[in-house]
Amino acid sequence: MSKPKPVPRPAPESAPYWEAAKQHKFEIPHCNACGHYWFPPSASCPQCLSTDFAFTPVSGKGKVYSFVTFHRVYHPAFEQEVPYVVALVELEEGPRLLTNIVGVPVEQVTCEMPVKVVFDDVGDGVSVPKFTPA
Amino acid sequence: MIEPSRDLSDICAVVGAGNSRLGRVPGVSSLDLLVEAMRNAIADSGLKISDIDGIICRGPDDSYCHHQRVGERLGINNRFGTTLDNGGASQIMSVALATMAIKAGLATTVICGYGRDAWSRTHVTEEARVRNETRPSSQRPQEFGPEYGYFGAVAAHAFGATRHMHLYGTTRDHFGHVAVAFREHALRNPDAQMKKPLTLAQYHEAQPIVAPFGLFDCSLRSDAAGAVIVTSKERARDLKQPPVSIKGFGTHNNTTGWFNNDNMIVTAAKQSGETAYKMAGIGPDDVDTAQLYDCFTYMVVAQLEDYGFAKKGEGGPFAASGALRMGGRLPTNTSGGQLSESHAEGMLQVVEGVRQMRHTYPAERQVKDAEIALVSGHGGNQVCHSTLILGRA
Repeated sequence: MSKPKPVPRPAPESAPYWEAAKQHKFEIPHCNACGHYWFPPSASCPQCLSTDFAFTPVSGKGKVYSFVTFHRVYHPAFEQEVPYVVALVELEEGPRLLTNIVGVPVEQVTCEMPVKVVFDDVGDGVSVPKFTPA
Repeated sequence: MIEPSRDLSDICAVVGAGNSRLGRVPGVSSLDLLVEAMRNAIADSGLKISDIDGIICRGPDDSYCHHQRVGERLGINNRFGTTLDNGGASQIMSVALATMAIKAGLATTVICGYGRDAWSRTHVTEEARVRNETRPSSQRPQEFGPEYGYFGAVAAHAFGATRHMHLYGTTRDHFGHVAVAFREHALRNPDAQMKKPLTLAQYHEAQPIVAPFGLFDCSLRSDAAGAVIVTSKERARDLKQPPVSIKGFGTHNNTTGWFNNDNMIVTAAKQSGETAYKMAGIGPDDVDTAQLYDCFTYMVVAQLEDYGFAKKGEGGPFAASGALRMGGRLPTNTSGGQLSESHAEGMLQVVEGVRQMRHTYPAERQVKDAEIALVSGHGGNQVCHSTLILGRA
């Protein structure tokens, strides 16, 4: 049995994001004052500094802004995974987030590729949002 | 844009420069490596230790009030001292802050430096070698990274490389020319960590690390330190070395984040460079040699563009044209840089810029007739940047 992958250890500000992911819901902070969406979560809007915001369901659709392919094993849990892609996905709503691109051979991942969210249940009630070609 | 003060241009000089032993220096702490470089800089300058009344340095990641421990080892009090924290941009900020402190009358002669023990720290035990970590665990992300297998600075910068390749057709071959040119320079530097030649074919054959980066796109794990001494132009006149004038400096930090806006394509070098050029009263065409923060090959390509040596998107072909080699349009990282000399987070680039301006190198290492050197610092979470422009006094 290989070593388990690191599980996210949420900061207080991001706990609601991970709670929603458990239910396979994709929700990010949305400012009620100026309408800005942002990621990663923080306790005030980085566009207008308002603290009036809510975790809001978003489309889960976006495109690959950039990506890298890990060949070197940096953590023993990923020994069987290399080569694997870590991508920066730009959501339709604007924010970019780090993720894995799954369900496609690594050599077929490209910038601007349309993708959509899928949820990877990693055990202990934790689900990690990943993306797959749309 | 706010104009930088030209009153700070050409009022101070670097009068001493030194490096520690570089590469694999087991059994020495980063603190003592730094003090070794400082001793060498002091000897180089001909100053007495009691002449130094300022200490500005950046500490290693796990040290508190590092400059106080440096002062203890040098056996001096100081009128102006602090430890800076702006990643690889800190080293030039030290020199900039020294100039400002001298102008303000808070100090007369300031020693600046940085040292690290990244090779020893990652090789002290087999476990340390496997973990390959230079940062303490408290500084590592706990979410939005590790669960995806995202670790380290190689991957962070590789994102910029992928995007640049997508937008402009930049190739691995272009990056390879950066690595090969700097290795050529390192072979003329007896202190350099890397001693063997590197061909473009070997660059392409090397193991991939985090694609698009392979082994030779990545800077070195080094035990390494550098130091310089800054004083007023008046004091500099009668010292041992030809003084090297501090003509301008600038900083910029894209703290909106490396992953946001187009920060991984147009880096903070752009605004930092514009500020430094204005303070110095020069432009990119006046620069004879560049000492760029080369943590990864792509960062050299991006900075060549952001500093105006090539248009955005044309940094790769510029590097491939041979421009970075001795005798080229812009001999760059003439000591071998962090890719081939040693990695002291930009401090050795400052040291090399100073040495090029002295014109005391043998011909094979000297950029002929060089009057202006541009030095850069970059780092933190890829977003902070600083620029130093040095000239013949």
